[in-house]
Amino acid sequence: MVKSMTTPPATKKATVPTRSSDRPNVQRPGEESVPIMKMRPTIKYEADRVRGFGREIMSVPGCEQLQSCIQCGTCSGVCPLSIYMDHTPRQVMALTRADFKNEVLRSRTIWLCASCYACTVECPQEIRITDIMYELKQRAILEGIFPKRFPIPILAYDFSEMVKKNGRITEMILVIKLFMKTSWLAALGNWRLGIDLIKTGRFSLVTEKIKHHGDIARMMDAVDDQKGS
Amino acid sequence: MVSIKQDIRIGFYVCHCGHNIASMVDCPEVASYVEKLPGVVLSRDYKYMCSDPGQELIQKDIKEFDLNRVVVASCSPLLHEHTFRTAVAAGGLNPFFFHMVNIREHDSWVHTDRKEATAKAKALARAAIRRVAHHKALEVKQVPVNPDVLVVGGGIAGIHAALTLANAGKKVYLVEREPSIGGHMAKFDKTFPTLDCAACILTPKMSSVGAHENITLWSYSEVVKMDGYVGNYTVMVKRKARFINEDLCTGCQECVANCIYKEPKFTDEFNEGLGKRKPVYIPFPQATPQVVLIDPDVCLNFKRGVLTDKCKKTCVEACGDRKAIDFKQKEQFTEIKVGTIIVATGFQTFDAKRVLPYGYGVYPNVYTAMEVERLVNASGPTSGEVILRDGRQPKAIGIIHCVGSRDKKTNRWCSRVCCMYSMKLAHLLKEHTGAEIYNFYIDIRAPGKGYEEFYDKLNEEGVHFVRGRVGEVTDWGMTPEEEGKLVIRVEDTLAGFVRRIPVDMVVLATGLEPQADAQDVRRLFNMSCGTEGFFLERHPKLAPVNTFTDGIFIAGCCQGPRDIPDTVAQAGAAAAEAMVLIDKGHVEQEPNTAYVLPDCCGCKSCLPLCPYTAITFDEATKKAVINEALCKGCGTCVSSCPSGSIAQNLFEDEEVFSEIEGVLAD
Repeated sequence: MVKSMTTPPATKKATVPTRSSDRPNVQRPGEESVPIMKMRPTIKYEADRVRGFGREIMSVPGCEQLQSCIQCGTCSGVCPLSIYMDHTPRQVMALTRADFKNEVLRSRTIWLCASCYACTVECPQEIRITDIMYELKQRAILEGIFPKRFPIPILAYDFSEMVKKNGRITEMILVIKLFMKTSWLAALGNWRLGIDLIKTGRFSLVTEKIKHHGDIARMMDAVDDQKGS
Repeated sequence: MVSIKQDIRIGFYVCHCGHNIASMVDCPEVASYVEKLPGVVLSRDYKYMCSDPGQELIQKDIKEFDLNRVVVASCSPLLHEHTFRTAVAAGGLNPFFFHMVNIREHDSWVHTDRKEATAKAKALARAAIRRVAHHKALEVKQVPVNPDVLVVGGGIAGIHAALTLANAGKKVYLVEREPSIGGHMAKFDKTFPTLDCAACILTPKMSSVGAHENITLWSYSEVVKMDGYVGNYTVMVKRKARFINEDLCTGCQECVANCIYKEPKFTDEFNEGLGKRKPVYIPFPQATPQVVLIDPDVCLNFKRGVLTDKCKKTCVEACGDRKAIDFKQKEQFTEIKVGTIIVATGFQTFDAKRVLPYGYGVYPNVYTAMEVERLVNASGPTSGEVILRDGRQPKAIGIIHCVGSRDKKTNRWCSRVCCMYSMKLAHLLKEHTGAEIYNFYIDIRAPGKGYEEFYDKLNEEGVHFVRGRVGEVTDWGMTPEEEGKLVIRVEDTLAGFVRRIPVDMVVLATGLEPQADAQDVRRLFNMSCGTEGFFLERHPKLAPVNTFTDGIFIAGCCQGPRDIPDTVAQAGAAAAEAMVLIDKGHVEQEPNTAYVLPDCCGCKSCLPLCPYTAITFDEATKKAVINEALCKGCGTCVSSCPSGSIAQNLFEDEEVFSEIEGVLAD
């Protein structure tokens, strides 16, 4: 999974076919490792539902509209990342509403969401899908449901901690931290890019801070307190 | 202490309405309380007052106990005031010696405390008892109904309503805004689900409208003003200048052939802009009336709509002795008097440009469904051949449903016809081109006679149905097979993944919405609109063609999206409702009208306030005069008269004040 996020989209490889009649050889990430014809029950029993989960999510301010989802699939149709998702955004909406908490929180989809808000803009029922994705990500982080060394929650956590501490982020430190906690070998492959970024001034070598950065921490704590209460 | 006239003998009845009232109000207690009130001779509670035994009870009691006033505490007067007035009249009393108290909608249905609700019922009953003592005997007046009917809008709804009435011998004025009647249906190629040709079934009806001795057809005309009341409306019709004398034109179209423009070069509205026409033209071959018209915006004899007389006028030469062309024609205003009006002003299609991701107006090969109707039509701009704007024949076509329907950002409602017409177009396009056809839908709604079977047929024909609302249409190809095509990106929700489907042509199944000027028409005819802007019927189930204004009926898509069979059925219903009034010959008027007392000082302050222009000023006596036929009993003049010299039947001061005292007394 981690590999799929760091390699460029596979579709690019397929742009030069050998014959005009060739079907593009699009190899989707992870496809080769799926064992063929392995039997596994896919049925869901009522015991698989976590009753109340859907209602809990829909009671979060901004997520109420999920109740009126008509399952049209516009969200998936406009989502630039839906091509990599195990469950399409529409399926995540359906699973959430039907209380399939484990399926939702273990889905790759919530982590792939890049918050481009295309789904929220286009949804005919005005469901704030991106906000629901955030809510689901938070639940997954709170419950610790994600693969070991999975970069996205780690990045999210370090990002907010750094903002809390300094009032803003220092990209280089954040990236180094991320690589150290996930896959430090991948950092070696990207060293040249790092040098280029430093040269062009995109990476700062010193920790950057804003004035009164303590205020940010106080604000963030206050929000946390309110959420907790 | 309350003084009730000695000779007043009131009978009081409180209705249980099954459990509707009795479950929240202690009816026997209310009855025994009212019995002790002054003037009350008799007080009963009964399970269903509106039933035949209930009504007979009132009649029997009037005779037996010599009652001269009756009060019933039950449901809303809207439901049963008429019932009880009739019962009281049958018992030998003037029906206006009756008063009704609403203890259901106003009490039992809206309260949860039985004790409080019972107390409220007592208070309301007490108020009615005090009020009814002051009631006077009143007479219901009858006003004759003008038997002529105005039908506004010459689409299939207006055509059908006009023909129904005309065949029944009624005189009908049919007013149509466009140069020809026929409406949207005239543009269609085939009709679902039977696939009979729209023109073949519509044009005979159109020509019988044109030829019918009972129908006065005014095309290219608009209603600009309406006054009056049920049975007696005065309507002003603007007849726009078409620069042709309709009586002299034979429809030979010699003028069109001889126009100084040798080739048609102006946008043809009837063909949705896909074809061209000349400045002098007939909208389509079967147009009714068969009369040409001149477009002053492009005709060389005009400049920006103003006559310059600078053209060689080859059209006038071609017309010759008929002399039908009249460049000096001005718009005319004609006043007509009718008794009833049927509004059938139809709909407009959704502007597909409003949905940006589908690229209408950006990609030339994205079409609206209406354009495709013309494209597949044998009398259309391409004679029925499906040729794209770039000259190619499509090999793959995507039809996107619900464009401007079921979308909170545009129109929330389901337009009802798009699923079916999309399937019809899918069938026709497949028949014409043999292309691969994809339908992208949210839900297929095929709930009519033979509709589901049509859906089955399409599946058997190999038309693809992809359940998913399209995310975007793009010309950005990512694989070789997508190069040079329009790519539809959609989640195949039944398969559970996102697909990219390259097509040559995209058809947008645009929804139906109210006409742009629906609000003006609504005001013109004193109607109401629902939140979405369609005209509001009086009752969604039981009065679907009536409006809140008596004598004005609605039919067709101006009331909401519907298909042709439903429209025709509704138009027939509207015609029948109009005939109820015409054949009865008169309307009864509620005597709750206002009247002027002798002490009117003639200040004229009431005149401009009356919303029904029922008040005039009598110069001889220097007093205001109220026309009872026009008065609707709104009470505006009564409350505004500075000298208190206007009173209103059923709302006399003593009636209203004693009612207020009654409700406030202990």
